[in-house]
Amino acid sequence: MGLTNLLSTPTLGIDISPGVHPQVHLGPLTIDVDIVWATLIAAAVVITMGLVLRKKATNGVPGKFQLLWELAVGAVQKQVDDTIGSRGAQVVPLALTLFVFIFTCNLFEVLSIGSTYDWLPAPTSDVNLPLAMALFVIVLVHRAAIKNRGLGGYVKHYFSRPFPPKLFFVNLFMNGVEELVKPVTLTLRLFGNLFAGGLMLSLLASLVIWKLGPAPIGAVLSVPFTVIWKLFDMAIGAIQAFIFALLTILYFDTAMAPDEEHQKSGEVING
Amino acid sequence: MPLATSNFLVPNGTFIVVLLAFVVVVWVIAKKVLPVLNKALTERQEQIRGELEAADKAKADAEEADVERQATLEQARVHAREIVATATATAERTVAGAEERAHEAAERIKQAAEAEVANARQAAVEEVTVRVGEIVLAAAERVIGREIQAADHQDLINEAIEAVRAESATGAAAGAAGARQ
Repeated sequence: MGLTNLLSTPTLGIDISPGVHPQVHLGPLTIDVDIVWATLIAAAVVITMGLVLRKKATNGVPGKFQLLWELAVGAVQKQVDDTIGSRGAQVVPLALTLFVFIFTCNLFEVLSIGSTYDWLPAPTSDVNLPLAMALFVIVLVHRAAIKNRGLGGYVKHYFSRPFPPKLFFVNLFMNGVEELVKPVTLTLRLFGNLFAGGLMLSLLASLVIWKLGPAPIGAVLSVPFTVIWKLFDMAIGAIQAFIFALLTILYFDTAMAPDEEHQKSGEVING
Repeated sequence: MPLATSNFLVPNGTFIVVLLAFVVVVWVIAKKVLPVLNKALTERQEQIRGELEAADKAKADAEEADVERQATLEQARVHAREIVATATATAERTVAGAEERAHEAAERIKQAAEAEVANARQAAVEEVTVRVGEIVLAAAERVIGREIQAADHQDLINEAIEAVRAESATGAAAGAAGARQ
């Protein structure tokens, strides 16, 4: 709560308090209803777009809508082919969904006006959704690694690199930290960017209290600033969606890479 | 619905609900949307490949047809030249034959005409000879005052006739030479 209080500094004369949600309690669980419905709406939007495409998809001349989907699929497919190769075909649906879904969620921030509590916040600006997606991805990455190397190879992998096996405890520590950090960074990168975007909108909204005598300078400035920031925020949303999908592909690449490659890269590091 | 403030860095029960929502989205995209889209993409690629192949084939066919057309055209030109050459030779031969035949015919006509002229002259000389004999006899009767028997003086008459003939033959030869010139 300390951080929350820090942001509502009395000297600014404004109160920006993140973490305010309409909540319900289901047994031990606390559920932020606004995040849930924003997520459901984003999911409905993506699913509807998918089903519309399913109905409209043609092998003839594609419409603009299909072309947009094909563009996204083509980009993800190319990324997967370039990094993982043909083994990575199973990653394409996940990476594509991540990109489209996160991008859709991020766009919700355009609707935000920077009030204490938005009716339709970007669900990615709450820690739960990024964490859910990151853990989902990481679990699948580890499953792919076990499938690739076998359980023994998977465990051995933690001890045998990047240093020689006699330094296995150092290896275990380094690999353990790396694997633990992956979902945390994946979560915080997305959440942090979107959360900061929301805070920025709140700050711009609070600009209206700035007056020079009777002249409402802040109120006049906050409108163009907000417009510019929202445009910028949309670009951030696209970039963050892309990065999340790209990192997912790269994590799968590491997990699915043949062992020899790891040996080689280990030797290079040792050399 | 009560508004509550919680630490925004700590996940709560929302996590489970949004995870389920996300899994549903992944499932729909992976199972229902992507296969259809990929099928459309693959089919279109096949279609385009087929069309490109057809276009290549059509181009090759067109080139082949063009080569064939050129060859046929060249053949036709050679053939035409041969026909023209043959026709020219035939025409020349025909003209030469016609000229020869015309010369022959003219020669024949000239010879016939000359023969006719010679015959006519001969007939005229014969007639003149007979008349001269008669006139000579009549003149001699008057001169000598009595009738001369033709039989009695046959030698004389024949001599006169021969003289006339010799003279006419000389004249005919001179006339023929003049006609040739």
